[in-house]
Order: sequence, then C-alpha cells, then structure tokens
Amino acid sequence: MDLELIQQIRGLCRDLLKNGEVNCVIGYERASDGLTARPLFVYEPGEVERLIFDDTCTHNLVKYLSDKKGEKIAIVAKPCDSRAINLLLNEGQIKRDTVFIIGVYCPGVVETGWNRKGEALQERCQTCQLLKPVVYDFLAGQAPVRSTEGERYSDILEVESKPEDERRAFWLDHFEPCIRCYACRQICPGCYCPECFVERLDPMWVGIRIAPIENELWQAIRAFHLAGRCISCNECERACPMDIPLSLLNRKLEKEVKELFDFQAGLSPEEQPPFATFNKEEKLGFEE
Amino acid sequence: MAINYEPKIIGFICNWCSYADADMAGTSPVSYPPNIRIIRVPCSGWVDPLLIAKCFWQGADGVLISGCHPGDCRYNEGNYHARRRFALLHRLLDYLGIAKERLRLEWVSASEGQKFTQIVSDFTRELAELGPRSEG
Repeated sequence: MDLELIQQIRGLCRDLLKNGEVNCVIGYERASDGLTARPLFVYEPGEVERLIFDDTCTHNLVKYLSDKKGEKIAIVAKPCDSRAINLLLNEGQIKRDTVFIIGVYCPGVVETGWNRKGEALQERCQTCQLLKPVVYDFLAGQAPVRSTEGERYSDILEVESKPEDERRAFWLDHFEPCIRCYACRQICPGCYCPECFVERLDPMWVGIRIAPIENELWQAIRAFHLAGRCISCNECERACPMDIPLSLLNRKLEKEVKELFDFQAGLSPEEQPPFATFNKEEKLGFEE
Repeated sequence: MAINYEPKIIGFICNWCSYADADMAGTSPVSYPPNIRIIRVPCSGWVDPLLIAKCFWQGADGVLISGCHPGDCRYNEGNYHARRRFALLHRLLDYLGIAKERLRLEWVSASEGQKFTQIVSDFTRELAELGPRSEG
C-alpha cells in the first residue's frame, strides 16, 4: 500500500469537504474482509481516514456519477475510469464543473474476490498502455514502472480463427449459462439509459423464454450498444455471476472500431464517437 | 441440406429508391424471387442493428438493406450513418458465427430497377448455395 498516495488523497478530500467544494467524495475503503477494497461515499471531513487506494481497487466508481447528477462530487479515478468520465462528458451526461476528479497513477489491479487477493495483475492491466488518467483535477501518486507489453487481442484472434460452425457453438455454449440478471448492464458506466431495450415489452426485443439464443441476442446488442464507447474497465465481466467472458465481445468491437474508424473511446471529451459522425469518402467495404 | 430449401430473406428497403425499384419491377413486369419479404422503411439509416440481429435470431437466412447511393440520401446523411453501423455489425455477426454473406447492404437508386431485381436474385442464389443456417 502506497501510504504517501493515500495521505495525499485523504488530505485533499478533507479540504474539499471542509471548504464545501464538494458534497461527497466517492473513493475506496478496506472491505470487511480486511484484504480487498469496496466503494466508499464520504460526506463528512472526519470520515476521510477511511479512504484507501491500492492494487485491489478494481471497481470503476464512475457508474455512481450518473446516479448523483447535479451534486458536486469528488471521485477517485484510475486511468481506465477516467476514460469513462470522458465518455460521460462527451455524451453530455455530466458537467465537468460538478466533478472534481482525483486521478491516480495506476499500478494495475489484481484479481480479487471475497477474502481473496490474487498475485498477478488482471489480464486487462497486463496489456493496458494507459498509466496516467486522461482527465483529472488533481493527480496523485507517482508514475509506476510496469510492462505494458503483450498481445491484447490474442484470445480474440483465436476465436476468429475457428470455423464458422464452431464459432456458433462456442458462443451458444458461453451464453447458455447467462441468467440475464443484467448485472453487466447495472455496473457499466456506459449503460445509463432510463429504459433499456431489453426491458421493452412492446416490441419485445428479447424474449423471456429460457434459451441460449435469447441470451445471445441480449449480449450481442449490449456489446453493440457499447461499440466505440466501451472503455475496457471490464466491470461487466467482474460482475457476471456466471463468469461469461464478456470481454471477448467488448474487445472484439474495440479492435474493429480501432481498425475501421481509428477511434478509441474516452481518450478525449471532444472527439466525436464513430457513430455520431461519418466520413463521406469512406467505403468500409461497401462498393458504390 | 433439404432439397427444397428456400432461403428466407428480410429486406429493409428504402422508400425513396429501392422501394420504387421493387414497385417498378411489378409494373414492368420483371420478376424476382419471392424469397424476400420486403419491409418498407423511410431510410437505410432508420434501420436499427437490433432489427437485423432480431431477424437472424428469429431464423432469417439473410437480411438485405437497400438504400440510396451515398450522397443521394433524401435526408442528406442517413445512409452514411447506416454504412458505419453495418460495417461494424457485419464483423460482429461474423464473429458470432453468422456468415458475412448473409447480411448485405446495397446502394440502388430509384432508376436502377434492373439492379434491384438482380441483387435479389443473386442474394437468393447465394443463400441457397450456403444452405440453411446452423441451428441456434
């Protein structure tokens, strides 16, 4: 645990709350298992001592910003989380001057579970190139030294190389256990629609029967709605109670969006996302 | 493959161009395969990828989206948006095991009646050669 970093965060939050600059700080505290982290909302300056930051802080707290619109909030954000803030800014969901962003240099986070902390960094962190938040008001910590080498899409290339029938079977197999609890949606900072298509009854896009293809339709369209918007925090996969490899879908679309439109979500609050704009000259494989 | 296999095609056809072609084929009269079920839409940019996915997951063998040539959209930019969307959807469906050939986006203007009937015939033939989709 980097005590200096934690003291920085605590000191800053104390000042912010005391001066009334923010109503609430969203950060991390030690979970009751004494090992991992959990989200914490601080409203009183006296409570800031509970704040921590270390490599178990895997949660993307940006989701909570959508729930606290209009309030002055300070939020602790890792680099990947900061991309989600850019996404919400870009889509007009939050206002920049209502959020105080405490960016932290990211050491990478490890796999965690109840009373369990892994040794190695999460897979997404092993190939993550982003060590510094893309948007912040205050930057805490020191630039970490870690390798960002590694092939980010090796597992995706493997799925792509399967023959079509096998791929079909592969996905139906993976989507079969889905219980459609929608935890993946609830935890996603990019899923903020007041009414999700999956809950529409007329037309009923996704049927209520228990069938892998209905699950697949939900998962495919969920991923498509996040195409060019997913910032790879991988919270959906972490939240999934059935351990469905959702990042295989999300990263596939991330890869294709990069190839087709040369775009990565959340790197800038101004850059137009691929589906909000177009280029008259492009062909994209459709001949005229 | 069943001997009498007839592919089912859902066609989302733009009112301002291809729909006129389909109409013209009827009055000419030129015939095209009845495998296509035409849904008349105001613009190719109107077609939600969700509709396409829903078609496939409900058992369609192929989906055709036909709109005006880029630059000729009645609403100025609908087909540019459609092009971006379906370029990506193509790749997602392929990844999920639904062959690229089963989803087609075509540009046909209102004066290209022959082209429209040609596209429907070709598409039907290609899908028949591909055979029914594997279950699921």
